[in-house]
Amino acid sequence: MTAALALEHVTKRFGGLLAVSDVSIEVAPGQITGLIGPNGAGKTTLFRVISGGLRPSAGRVFFEGREITGWSPHAVCRLGVCATHQIVRPFPDLTVLENVLVAAAFGSGGRLAPRSPRAEAEEVLEFTGLASRGDAPAAALTLAQRKRLEIARALATRPSVLLLDEALAGLTPTESQQAVALIRRIRDRGVTIVMIEHVMRAVMDLSDRVLVLNYGRLIADGPPRAVTSDPQVIEAYLGRALEEA
Amino acid sequence: MRALSARLPWARGAPWAPRASALAALALGILLALVPAVAPRDITLLNLGFFTFLYVAQGLAWNVLGGYAGYVSFGYAAFFGLGAYTTALLWLAGWPPLATYPVAGIVAAAFSLIVGVPTLRLVGPYFSIATIGVGEAMRVLMLNLDRITGGASGLNLPTAVPSKTWFYTTSLLFAAVAFAVAAWVRGSRVGLGLMALRMDLEAAESLGVRTALFKNVAHSLGAFLVGACGGLYATFLQYVHPDTVFSFTESISLVLIALIGGLGTVWGPVLGAVVFYAVQDYLQTSYPTFHLLVYGVLLILILLFEPKGLAGLAERAWRRMRGAPARLAPAGPSGAEPAAPGRGGAG
Amino acid sequence: MLTAPNLISVGIAALLTAGLYAVMSYGLAIIYGVMKVINLSHAGFLMLGAFMTLVYFQRWHLDPLLGALLNLPVFFAAGWVLYAVLVRRVMTSLPIASLLLLFALWLVLQNVALAIWGSEDQSIITAYTYKALPVLGFRIPLTRLLVFGVALATLGVLHFVLGHTYVGKALRATVQDPQAGVLVGIDTERISAVAFGLGTAFAAFAGSLLTLLFSFTPDFGGPFQLKSFTIIVLGGLENFAGVTVGAAILSFVESYAVLFMKASLQNVIAYALLVVALIVMPGGVAQLWTRSRS
Ligand SMILES: Nc1ncnc2c1ncn2[C@@H]1O[C@H](COP(=O)(O)OP(=O)(O)OP(=O)(O)O)[C@@H](O)[C@H]1O
Ligand SMILES: [Mg+2]
Repeated sequence: MTAALALEHVTKRFGGLLAVSDVSIEVAPGQITGLIGPNGAGKTTLFRVISGGLRPSAGRVFFEGREITGWSPHAVCRLGVCATHQIVRPFPDLTVLENVLVAAAFGSGGRLAPRSPRAEAEEVLEFTGLASRGDAPAAALTLAQRKRLEIARALATRPSVLLLDEALAGLTPTESQQAVALIRRIRDRGVTIVMIEHVMRAVMDLSDRVLVLNYGRLIADGPPRAVTSDPQVIEAYLGRALEEA
Repeated sequence: MRALSARLPWARGAPWAPRASALAALALGILLALVPAVAPRDITLLNLGFFTFLYVAQGLAWNVLGGYAGYVSFGYAAFFGLGAYTTALLWLAGWPPLATYPVAGIVAAAFSLIVGVPTLRLVGPYFSIATIGVGEAMRVLMLNLDRITGGASGLNLPTAVPSKTWFYTTSLLFAAVAFAVAAWVRGSRVGLGLMALRMDLEAAESLGVRTALFKNVAHSLGAFLVGACGGLYATFLQYVHPDTVFSFTESISLVLIALIGGLGTVWGPVLGAVVFYAVQDYLQTSYPTFHLLVYGVLLILILLFEPKGLAGLAERAWRRMRGAPARLAPAGPSGAEPAAPGRGGAG
Repeated sequence: MLTAPNLISVGIAALLTAGLYAVMSYGLAIIYGVMKVINLSHAGFLMLGAFMTLVYFQRWHLDPLLGALLNLPVFFAAGWVLYAVLVRRVMTSLPIASLLLLFALWLVLQNVALAIWGSEDQSIITAYTYKALPVLGFRIPLTRLLVFGVALATLGVLHFVLGHTYVGKALRATVQDPQAGVLVGIDTERISAVAFGLGTAFAAFAGSLLTLLFSFTPDFGGPFQLKSFTIIVLGGLENFAGVTVGAAILSFVESYAVLFMKASLQNVIAYALLVVALIVMPGGVAQLWTRSRS
């Protein structure tokens, strides 16, 4: 079976800084993969290389066996790989529904047919629990709702692979639990998920597999329990409580 | 389910629902079309109508890229001038005027692609600066291409011109077409994409919006309409000169019309153009550029207090009349989040 | 004609023009550097500076060079006030809002000047306007030498101010990293006001110098403003030293290109260079070698 997502020796340099260094991974379809690592490890950069926001300095990116290295973000999105933003970026003057509609109308690459973008957007709002806020301007949402909107928009593109960048950061424990449940339900729809997360409890609960990035290098890869007991990983996180909620 | 009555969910914020707006426009258009029948000899009135409609059409055209997508161009005179010269040369070659306007539009649109493909990649303010460079470069180039453009002495065109009524009606038709295009774009998928990319280019791109394509589509749509207007203007004056049709003043007139009328609204440029031409016409004889002073002051006030321009004011007044509270957070250049993308580094 | 003496005389002229260009662009660079705002009212202040010099000259027989000096405090104050009253209010909006505001200000200044002085060509004729001095065997107009000398002196003073005074250091720190500037206790509002005042003062100062070389009207600032944009883009936008480099590049390219084309096309070079530079090297000419290093 071809991997949903495959990276071959991906490297990204910013001037003299090696943000991502020779990373090779294959992600199996239908799984949730956690991507962890200290601040500045290169996680967001890796996402941006996959989703087309940045061109890798070296290496190749494949989606379902098809090379997408250097494609522009809109093309990658329409093909079926969609990333959320670590710092949420709603369209402030559009309503919540319109925000999602942008994604459904442009990002779904024909996967919605015969359903209309409008119907899809409304369905996604129901699914993500934002239906009651559909007519509100996105600028009026709370942080938790904005994070949800970020996920809702990505979902409305009907992605095969969803890249979530710190979808739980800044949420209260209750909000966090709801978001975890949402992510699970998305996986149950058959979406392959890679999630960057600092909240270790969620990573341990959700992930089928965990990748650890440190200084741009992949230092561990395996089932959650095995990875967190890896001495190299513990060293990378030294001074940080691994189980912080 | 929620009650979302508007057929086009993203046509929000307009004071009237899109259908009412279209009906109002249609009624207004028919009324104005009757004027020559009522007053066929009133040359002053027909000329007033001609120039106002020409500005309405161009303001609406400019607003597609400038208002919906937020890319403020100071270079539309290049399209106007190219259109004017295309019509002039074809007319001299024996074409009937009406047949030259689409060609004028196409020439302008083709040029807009040549300029737009590289420059629309720039972050907003840099795009604006680049368009000033392009516009001025075109004017100077045309002044020097005297074999084609007549250079500093301009080109005299055939004197067998259509009647004032014909010009009035054609200009009204141009305004109507521009209105239909602007209203359709705003309510369509393209308009949604343009508005999304105005608010956050990167987010729009990452959600599948082909931002570069849409910006260029909007640019060339506007250029086509403005080019055709340039053609109509050339036939009206029977004379073209690089310094008038490629003038910076022509470029900034469009910016002012759209901004003062209401950036990104459908009715804004209509209001803006009427006020603009009224003020200009009133002050023209006593003081030729005084309207620019008035408009400069108005623009400052608008930027500080009402980013949605006259249309925004009208909307507020409308809401107050109906007793509804005015909506907060208007869209527009000053209405967005402080953490706006693209501040700083170019490219 | 491409004779050796001709090439040398063009070179001298280009060098002299470069000095003027640099002075003309510093104001724009300071405002951009600190506030990240493209000052579209630059042309308006160049023009007002020129007209004020005319006023001083007619009222008090003040020499344009002294007029230039007098313009510094006058326009610094004007810029400061404008910042406090107008510009500050749109600084938190999208960048395009401040661009448009300054554009509107330009329109207002230009048309106020039209209302006061009309649209006729004005010029200032001093006792030395038509004098010339021999340099390397060429006769160079005295006014051009004076302008160049003043330009050099100004650059020297500016360099000193930026490098050795508190305000100058704060300005440079803010240009390099606004957040860090805040962290070390720089009042950004104050610094922005200073920058806008300085930028305005420099524009007016340059406007005074222009009166020595050219006649002027209320809308004569436009082409100079566009050239200043070209210069600061070539210079890398954030880089004060880059302004001098940008000015030299533009001046030399223009001067030598005219040997091969119609003189009336000269301005097209600056405009085309502006567009090309924005597109291919938004980091300015300096980018060319930093890029090859990485
Ligand atoms: N556009 C850029 N230009 C230069 N350096 C960058 C750029 N983007 C990221 N970096 C640098 O690359 C490194 C990796 O950043 P990245 O954002 O990928 O980290 P991260 O793992 O997502 O961290 P965090 O957990 O804080 O989000 C950091 O040192 C960062 O400063
Ligand atoms: Mg990150």
